[in-house]
Amino acid sequence: MSIYLPIAEMPVDALLILVLSGIVGFLSGLTGLGGGFIMTPMLLFLGIPAPVAVATQASQITATSVSALMTQSRRRSVDWRMGMLLTVGGVLGSTFGVSIFSSLLAVGQIDILISLLYVLFLGVVGALMLYESFNAIRTKRPLAAATFTSSSNTFAQKLPFLMRFPRSGLYISVLPPLALGFGVGVLAAIMGIGGAFILAPAMIYLLRMPTNVVIGTAQFQVLIVAAVVTLLQATVTQKVDVLLAVLMITGGVVGAQFGARFGARLPAEQLRAALALVVLGAGLKILFDLVRPPAELFVLGAG
Amino acid sequence: MSLRAAALACALCALAAGMSGALAQTQDAPPATAQEAPTIVQPPPEPQDASPRIIEAPTPPPRPRPRPRAPAAEPPEPSTDFPAAITDRDIAVTSDYQGFDVTVFGYNPEWRRGGDIVVALRGPTQPTVVRRKFRFLAFWVNGDPVRFEEAPSFLAVYSDRPLNQIASPRLILALGLDPAASARLAGQTPPGTDASDYRRALVRLRRAAGLYIENPNGLRIDNEMLFQAQISIPANAPIGDYTADVYYFRDQRLISSRQSQVKVSREGIERQVHEFASDWPFVYGLLTVAIALLAGWLAAIVFRRT
Repeated sequence: MSIYLPIAEMPVDALLILVLSGIVGFLSGLTGLGGGFIMTPMLLFLGIPAPVAVATQASQITATSVSALMTQSRRRSVDWRMGMLLTVGGVLGSTFGVSIFSSLLAVGQIDILISLLYVLFLGVVGALMLYESFNAIRTKRPLAAATFTSSSNTFAQKLPFLMRFPRSGLYISVLPPLALGFGVGVLAAIMGIGGAFILAPAMIYLLRMPTNVVIGTAQFQVLIVAAVVTLLQATVTQKVDVLLAVLMITGGVVGAQFGARFGARLPAEQLRAALALVVLGAGLKILFDLVRPPAELFVLGAG
Repeated sequence: MSLRAAALACALCALAAGMSGALAQTQDAPPATAQEAPTIVQPPPEPQDASPRIIEAPTPPPRPRPRPRAPAAEPPEPSTDFPAAITDRDIAVTSDYQGFDVTVFGYNPEWRRGGDIVVALRGPTQPTVVRRKFRFLAFWVNGDPVRFEEAPSFLAVYSDRPLNQIASPRLILALGLDPAASARLAGQTPPGTDASDYRRALVRLRRAAGLYIENPNGLRIDNEMLFQAQISIPANAPIGDYTADVYYFRDQRLISSRQSQVKVSREGIERQVHEFASDWPFVYGLLTVAIALLAGWLAAIVFRRT
């Protein structure tokens, strides 16, 4: 069923978008990670212009993270105070990121930056996840960096503006969460992702938060930042395609629910290892495309 | 499809019937001498609206740079009553839009004297940037941009034999029938590079996207005097004002031409959404966020209960 997108100004197969976003939603429900880093390249591959893909992706991330957050908050696994700090940083960072995006778009170098960032983050995150999963599988221990306790935290306690985070059992400076939120916000705006897959490991390793609150808290930050990015993109670049958004949201939220249900029955470590391989593979593919001599040396752009 | 074909046949019949008077007129005119005269515009004969005004357009003076839209400026008086028409003047882009086929058709009143018909459909011109990738460290990155002005976003040229057998190269350039020549270079090329490489790349990439179509066999001719060109406007061609030009060449010269307008515009929900997004961007953004929040919330509720 072909449908013409009013903002992207091109026809797409509505069913194909529904199925693809459903699969990505399923994966994100399964693993607890957002699907932006898979969905955005997929939209680009379908020929949807990069600004539309990145801008519209933000609205889908908003929708899937609402569902996820509702589940997490029922389990009381959200540190709202930490989430607020991360969000303040995230909103500032995404605003900054959108301005970087538009200035690099103007000089025609946005795709190289996006590709390099993807290679870097997919590589690092994929390798970390794989290492963790294999360790967990080998030692038959539940996944996590729960071995870190708040007492082993040092640098976040030495900085000024200390604050108590009862839900996480932390007493740390507000600066690291703000900076982390800011950094992820910048990346989220540039890469068209939610950033949970960067945020969650950073919260575990840098902030030393207990794993049971990490996903829910990251989800909260992602939700607010994605909503702000959607609004910002709609206002500034005017590239949010509401029809594409509705298709992606429908597929995404339904897929995520099924994924979450299935995920409870499947072994988490093996799942993580599988996803890590996908992430590493995607990173390598992008790296390969950057290094390989292109078949067509020239590219067109709007003047 | 068959309905349209029937309508087209009817239109062609009507045109041919209407033109038969004009045909007699043109045949009355002295055949050979008109060729010698450089720029005589024949006075319109009696039946005003039905007769083609014949213009002997000499090969245009050499220009430093070809310009598109030349036909409008080039002949002393454009002969707008050449009998040709287009099936659709308003193309509506609705939610099931997948491109559109238009047919440019007409009748050649001078068919007995030979010559060639060329049909060109042009999209709105747009400034375009071409970049060449180069190797930076290990990576292939985009080089400096080369800007072109007035490159047609869409250009289809239909004839029934190769253009270079129909008109002089200079005339082809002047009329903007060569996509490579239509784009005007604006600004500098990076040092050590050749602008023509960029120009060729522009044409190659647009051709690959189905936006530049040169079809030297695409013009169908019936009974030597009725012609029609069925042109597919792909869905990726931009929305805007298109022009369809029909040119009549004889002995490498432009004898007459006719321009018709085609408007490709959004209709229905496409139009409403687009206008809402550009007129009320903040409200549009808020609405999109609201849809996302509602959908996520609904999914969580529905799936918890089932």
